[in-house]
Amino acid sequence: MKRLKVYCSIANLSKVREFMRTNLRELEVCRNTSEMLVLAVDEACANAIIHQHNCDGNAFLELSLYRNDEQLFIELKDTGNAFNLNTFEPMSQEERIRTHAKGGMGVLLIRSIMDEIEIEQKTDYHVFKFVKNIES
Amino acid sequence: MTHTQAFKTLSPQGEIDANSSIDLDEELRAAIAEGCYRFHIDASGLTYISSAGLGVFVSYLDELHSKKGKIVFSGMNDNVRNVFTLVGLHKILPIVSTEKEAIALLLQ
Repeated sequence: MKRLKVYCSIANLSKVREFMRTNLRELEVCRNTSEMLVLAVDEACANAIIHQHNCDGNAFLELSLYRNDEQLFIELKDTGNAFNLNTFEPMSQEERIRTHAKGGMGVLLIRSIMDEIEIEQKTDYHVFKFVKNIES
Repeated sequence: MTHTQAFKTLSPQGEIDANSSIDLDEELRAAIAEGCYRFHIDASGLTYISSAGLGVFVSYLDELHSKKGKIVFSGMNDNVRNVFTLVGLHKILPIVSTEKEAIALLLQ
């Protein structure tokens, strides 16, 4: 299993992408799928860093990934209560344009890219468990 | 950033994420404050964009449209174009292949 501990600064998102690209290449995930997974994980980490931790550089996230023949598994562990990616209702593009909103599209991207999203809520932490089906 | 009388060209380079989108936002905001409402985004040097980068462009659309402005993209690689497509922005923001096509659209 590949692991990364990342402190909650948006400047560290480039480290998340580098970790994902390096390890997805090592796990022989094709480039197109890899780039989409890099994006989805960047979005999930950015959400946690900005909204969950308000860019508190003392807080951190733990990311891990592994694969079998058919699926890639990505886990993002974070403290506190989980933001529910499965039930959040992003506004329409028309509404976003009308209100000059910048946010909300990250959740759309994560849902579009990942095949399964499960949230495990524990007392002191939660884990987002993402699954991506991999073409053999 | 380059500037003609009719529009400005912005050429973002590398990766736009939640961190670097702050600079892009400032650049667009400053240009609009100077009275520029038409933008050509030369995306040929752009290798990655996250929702934060998309959000910057979307957040100015209403203001630009109200002033007869627009944003036209050219030279986008397949990965970046795919991000626009996943959230449906390819239906709202004009994306063309070449700078020439972009300029033609901006001057319409």
